Amino acid sequence: MPALLFLLCGCASIPDAVRDVPDGAAVELDHTPFFPQQRYQCGPAALTTVLAASGVDASLEALIDKVYLPGRQGSLQIELVAAARTESRLPYVIDGTLAALLAELEAGRPVLVLQNLGVKMIPRWHYAVVVGIDEKQSEIVLRSGTDRRRVTPIDTFLRTWRRGEYWGMVALRPDEMPAVIDRERYLAAIAALEETGQLESAAIAWRTAGARWPDESVVMFGLANTALASGDYVSAESGYRRLLAQAGASTAARNNLALALAHQGRFDEAMTEIKVALGANDEPRFADVLQDTLNEIQRMAERAR
Amino acid sequence: MILTRTRALVMRVVSVSLICMGFAQVAPAGMIGTSQLLENEARAESLTRIEMLLARDDVGQQLMTLGVEPALVLERLNAMTTEELLALEHRFDEQVAGGDALAIIGTVFLVLLILELVGVTDIFKSI
Repeated sequence: MPALLFLLCGCASIPDAVRDVPDGAAVELDHTPFFPQQRYQCGPAALTTVLAASGVDASLEALIDKVYLPGRQGSLQIELVAAARTESRLPYVIDGTLAALLAELEAGRPVLVLQNLGVKMIPRWHYAVVVGIDEKQSEIVLRSGTDRRRVTPIDTFLRTWRRGEYWGMVALRPDEMPAVIDRERYLAAIAALEETGQLESAAIAWRTAGARWPDESVVMFGLANTALASGDYVSAESGYRRLLAQAGASTAARNNLALALAHQGRFDEAMTEIKVALGANDEPRFADVLQDTLNEIQRMAERAR
Repeated sequence: MILTRTRALVMRVVSVSLICMGFAQVAPAGMIGTSQLLENEARAESLTRIEMLLARDDVGQQLMTLGVEPALVLERLNAMTTEELLALEHRFDEQVAGGDALAIIGTVFLVLLILELVGVTDIFKSI
């Protein structure tokens, strides 16, 4: 029988790095709202919970439309993340450790987690929201399913969370930073806001990141990009120039500078910049884009004539 | 049967129109977005527009096949980044769909019950 148990659950132990939290750590976000789920709709319910806790006037019905997949009787992680962006929030996937989870709770943010309540071979995937940890009692408090306050032993929670690959996300306001920051993941999350057209949120988030890392070129690029995409060509221009002055050659910044100039009707300057970028050819992956930009500038110049 | 076929046809038509229209152009043509800058350098070239539209079309069709209303598909596609669309295009079936669905029978049930009693799982609590 023990062999069978082992086979079924693949009982690897939980690494200390995942489990460790300071002795006596205790926090519970009592005020986190609760949205009891309907059948199979733990995804939308959990998402509504973290969004509402973050101050969004979130509607469960609307979020069902955004994330529920009837044919799979569930919701995908990717769509939960995508939907959070449409509600002007910055979805951030936390480090998969209890310490990172605790740090978010201490910052006042509940954490949406993916659990597998079954076992690997017979999974029962479930989204819930962690609202509390009590190290002494060895308990985790969740908003889960139809339970407003579900208390689970930490060990059981960790096993179910491990089978969900320790996946957890928070819905940050764009002016908030994660409690435990993985810089690359955080900047990519902001870039995703920009890419999906959440320009206002993106601009706030880039400024927030810029307050922490004023010389980070990705942040400067992001700020200039949100300006360019919002039609603020003058700010965009100065942003790209600042970047080029600091970082030396940057194909992407020069490409976008050329566009910012062209959109101000300064086609000659735009052509000069794009030709410099094409001549340098230091980032082959952007070669086609540069050529497209050159064509675009020519088209714009002809139309303006 | 006829219904299924009609549905398939409608889905195809809607999907083609998804390719042609509704693509949320949020940045000026030619702009290199920050996501593109951050993309794994391993990808030799930036994704072409055609590749991106094909990924959108593919994911859009999968969403419709899985019962998402056609009217909602566009909104859901627009919420995703290119990286996310590509992840779904290539590995849709491997994605976990959290939703508590569970189908078990006989002996499996018994084994699960034992696992539950010894605290390995937490499957039977009403959630």
